[in-house]
Amino acid sequence: MSTGLGEGVYEVFARKRRGEPLRHIGYIDAPGDELARVYAWKTYDEESWFEMCVVPRGAVIPVNRVEGPWAKNVPEEADGP
Amino acid sequence: MASYTEDELKKKIRGGYILESPEEMTPGYRRALIVQLTVQADTELMSAPAYWFAARHAPSTNTQVSAHAIIQDELAHANIAYRLLEDLGVSKEHLVYGREPHEFKHPYGFDQPLDNWAELVVANGFFDRAGICLLGDVHRNTSYGPLKRALVKVDMEETFHLRHGEVWMRRLARAGGAATELLQRCVDWMFPMTIEWFGLPDDLKHHSGQLDYKLKGLTNDELRQVWMSSTVPLCEGLGLSVPAHYDEEADEYVLEYPFPCEYDPDAKRWLFDDGEITWQAVFERWKGRGPMNEIYVDSVRRSRGSVASWLN
Repeated sequence: MSTGLGEGVYEVFARKRRGEPLRHIGYIDAPGDELARVYAWKTYDEESWFEMCVVPRGAVIPVNRVEGPWAKNVPEEADGP
Repeated sequence: MASYTEDELKKKIRGGYILESPEEMTPGYRRALIVQLTVQADTELMSAPAYWFAARHAPSTNTQVSAHAIIQDELAHANIAYRLLEDLGVSKEHLVYGREPHEFKHPYGFDQPLDNWAELVVANGFFDRAGICLLGDVHRNTSYGPLKRALVKVDMEETFHLRHGEVWMRRLARAGGAATELLQRCVDWMFPMTIEWFGLPDDLKHHSGQLDYKLKGLTNDELRQVWMSSTVPLCEGLGLSVPAHYDEEADEYVLEYPFPCEYDPDAKRWLFDDGEITWQAVFERWKGRGPMNEIYVDSVRRSRGSVASWLN
């Protein structure tokens, strides 16, 4: 959903330290990839993350669930996992 | 797509069911969650200008940094809560930029000016502690998965705000003289302000469904007790007087003033001597908003229109 300043949603993933799983930690609205990196780093600063990355919400393709924030990204020809 | 009746969903939730998407919600659940998240988001957002104006009174560069770090946290918390609302189909754009200042749902305490460093640190010690009581309870009990996860960060950071408040309250209390007098003056208006923040007593509370849907775990009165159970001993330990004490027989904290009562925002004084007022009168005062309402709301959105027009 757009938010006035031409922003889109990015999902934020981070790993606390080596050996730990990459976890979904939240979301951020940003007008592009570059600012999404900045906003995510500045917003989710509660830990010294070993690794953080952002993914545009539209790029997450659900495999088995048909509801939730990514549901509309299921490819049209898909008929189940 | 799941489709439950209100009673079916409440029953599932009592059994530990966690909702992960708006499609699983009943209209009643969605409505109650939106009310809760709007209050949460607005409170975080309006705490920022209240603290920002007060941060001008920070006595050193170190304290400037810690005060602004707290403001940055609050804005991030607001941003996260509005984002959760957006996923429920509520426009963040409208909530932040489309409402009149008096339509925001934050507590009356964040319509008040914080006029010196002591008031800022007592706000950290009292208001942020109220935030931890309320949101910590939501974190432990909420049946909405995305909110539970979002609150991990929020709880962690609010604890830092509280520590900042306590450490500085201790420093000012130990200093004696004018510092301690000023601290006591802050406690005098901010203690009852926070007590009122927790809202209607349980015996008057209209049933909102927040407990049935497990959007929270404790009632207003229980949360007020939790807040007092740490605030009263803290203040007593610092030699500050508070209008409440622990009653051993009742096994709870009791207030020593008529509750609720009227507040004079210009004098920053509670009118204990005028006696108890109705909650209807309290709601009217809240609805009328406090002295800084318009200034605070304007301060977080004044440049929005011009920048948006440059870009579009």
